[in-house]
Amino acid sequence: MVGVSELVVDVNGLRVSYGSVVVLEDVSLAAARGEVVAVMGVNGAGKSTLLSCLAGLRRPNGGSIRVLGGPPRDTADYWRRVVLVADLPTWYPGLTVREHIELVRMTSAPADGWCLDPDELIDAFALTSRADAVPLTLSSGQRQRLSLACALARPSDLLLLDEPEQSLDAGFRKQLASLLRESYAPSGATVVMATHDLEFAEVAGARRILIEDGSATEATT
Amino acid sequence: MTTGTTTMVASVPPRVATVRKFTRRQQQGRWLDWYAAGFGVLVACIYLGNFLVQPLRRLSSGARDLPVGQGETGLALVLAVGAGLLLLAQSLGPLTLSPADASWLLMSPLDRRGLLRRSLGALTAAAALAGALLGVLALAMAGPYITALTSARLGEWLLLAGVVGGALAIAAVDVLVLLQPHPHRTRTPARALLRVIALAALLVAVAGEHWMSLPRAAARALGPFSLAALQAATVVAACAAVAAALAAWARLRSFPADVLWADSAHAGRVRLAAAFLNVQLLGWIAEDNHWRRRVLVSRHWPERMPWPGRMPVAPASPAFILAWSDWRRLGRRPGTLLVLAASAVGPALVAGALTGTARGVANAVVLLFGGIAAASQGCAALRRDTNDVTLRRLLGAAPRPALAARAVLPALLAAGWLAVALGVLASTGVVSASGASGVPAVLLWVALGLASGPGLTASAMRLARTAPIDAAVLGGVDTGAGTMPTWLISRIFSVVLGLIGVFPLVAGVLSAFGGLHGAHARGGLVPHGLDGGTIVVQAVLSAALLSFYLLIASPPGSASASGQASRG
Repeated sequence: MVGVSELVVDVNGLRVSYGSVVVLEDVSLAAARGEVVAVMGVNGAGKSTLLSCLAGLRRPNGGSIRVLGGPPRDTADYWRRVVLVADLPTWYPGLTVREHIELVRMTSAPADGWCLDPDELIDAFALTSRADAVPLTLSSGQRQRLSLACALARPSDLLLLDEPEQSLDAGFRKQLASLLRESYAPSGATVVMATHDLEFAEVAGARRILIEDGSATEATT
Repeated sequence: MTTGTTTMVASVPPRVATVRKFTRRQQQGRWLDWYAAGFGVLVACIYLGNFLVQPLRRLSSGARDLPVGQGETGLALVLAVGAGLLLLAQSLGPLTLSPADASWLLMSPLDRRGLLRRSLGALTAAAALAGALLGVLALAMAGPYITALTSARLGEWLLLAGVVGGALAIAAVDVLVLLQPHPHRTRTPARALLRVIALAALLVAVAGEHWMSLPRAAARALGPFSLAALQAATVVAACAAVAAALAAWARLRSFPADVLWADSAHAGRVRLAAAFLNVQLLGWIAEDNHWRRRVLVSRHWPERMPWPGRMPVAPASPAFILAWSDWRRLGRRPGTLLVLAASAVGPALVAGALTGTARGVANAVVLLFGGIAAASQGCAALRRDTNDVTLRRLLGAAPRPALAARAVLPALLAAGWLAVALGVLASTGVVSASGASGVPAVLLWVALGLASGPGLTASAMRLARTAPIDAAVLGGVDTGAGTMPTWLISRIFSVVLGLIGVFPLVAGVLSAFGGLHGAHARGGLVPHGLDGGTIVVQAVLSAALLSFYLLIASPPGSASASGQASRG
């Protein structure tokens, strides 16, 4: 049983609608420190919307959200502790792969906590041969790797991933899942990710939450 | 996979300036970029100078014998331009970052105000400059009617007018910045208000051409305007600007990331498209934005009927059903038709606005581009699926009949727009016609407009079928004076095609304006130029050109139609 004080994410009775279309209805979700949670569901179920709410980018119509002890705040302090990887970013045309990673580290300095240095990241995400390339010349899979590498280039307490497995080959999906389970989560950080890949969620050691008809239930199988 | 490490990344807090220095380190502009930018600014200054010379000269000469309508029309147009610029600013944010900055720096521990400070500064400077210019222009329009304005203190008047214009523009833009974090509640009302102001100003400008009571009232109101009143207005405008700027500055600290993210991405796409004159992409973006905000009710397509092959573009044939998407799209956007109808007064405004000098060439250019723009409103589906033949194949429509069916709506739109525009020109007496046929001049010009519509359709269709520009894969043609990109050549060719298609109309307009100048010289308006023969020639030319285009254009989805730069 997780104590309330240990909860990094605490969502109760969340309701979100787009106009007259209700996407999430009475969704409750909790994630503790060091836990990996996979939010699953069919296309359009509301997984990305839930992540947007956790990141503070979308205001819910009802219910309460507490992230790291308070409501999502969209402040410098909040973004020091929370990392969101959603849509593919726009790259700086004149910066290399390595420089993008260094840029992320620079924006969050001084930072004390678990993260990987640029060389480790480039190696771990199999970007060694493209370290000096500009991201515009990378394949879609390599760009997704770079996005994820940047997310792990600075310490954080909560990592929000929207379908991180997109464009990744099966082998690297397992590597990424292992990294989250064996390195990131044990550092005391929490992962909440929306995914369609059951195997990815299992390898990451994730507790699975199924969103169906606007409601969230714990997946048992 | 590696194991994690605990790292102290750095010992000093991040500063926006340091981060920006890093991101720009690799993006130092080459001397050629600076040269190109400087040259662009120089050319803009020269054009702007030329534009302002005449009104300013009129002010400095102390001329008082100007037509009474010019002041009111000019002021209304300045107001319309101001509202239009604010609409443009609002549609681009107005406060944005570069898309890359928004992706990497926005949702980071960096200070939000530090991040946005420069954007707000640039926006304020641009608003101040544009506002000051409009302020000076407004004074140039109103000046001849202000009794107290003398050339002795002209500098002071101009300075204060510029300050008032600049300050009001800063205040207006900063108010838009303050509204920006609440897009769902404020964007639509603000946009509607600005549109109403612009439209009302245009209507007042046109109305003043004929209902003289309006400009007389305006001239009477301007007469007693004093320097002291302008000084008071300056103080009020400056206070408003300072208050709005301080409020916007205070808002920067907590400016919401989600709004900035979306607006920055949108503005980045628009800027990129505008930089390459990529009209297709701009239209695409505008259309996406329009439909994304709407909830539609699905309707059935027209019933498909087994029409014989010899009637490939008849109503309810597969080709016509395919073309129906544009009709439905237009039916769902009645505002487009309203805007088109309102914009048809543009040529009449150009004819006598601002300087009071009738300009035949300017008028012909406005008619040409206005007609192409009107036809383009019926080419949205053509623009969308130039390289995607899925729907056409599903419907079983042959490529060339499909293209022909899609020419109907743009031809009607262009014909309608030109007919209204020329009708307004004729009814306001700007252009006239030969009285020999006994037919009223207005009807002749309207008929010429109707006959010209198909002549511009090929141009609009060709522009629509040009794929979005990928500057990375396009080359250029060496012209001797430099390389001209192929996409630009393609677009110029499309416009030339339109010019050929409406050549009788253009010649008729130029001829009518020649008559107008001559008439002014003789103290009266003489009938000139247009007769029934011109209309027949125009109709034949329009039909021939459009038919020729439909015959030679490469069918949608064919290998030659999927190139980047142009379609035949």
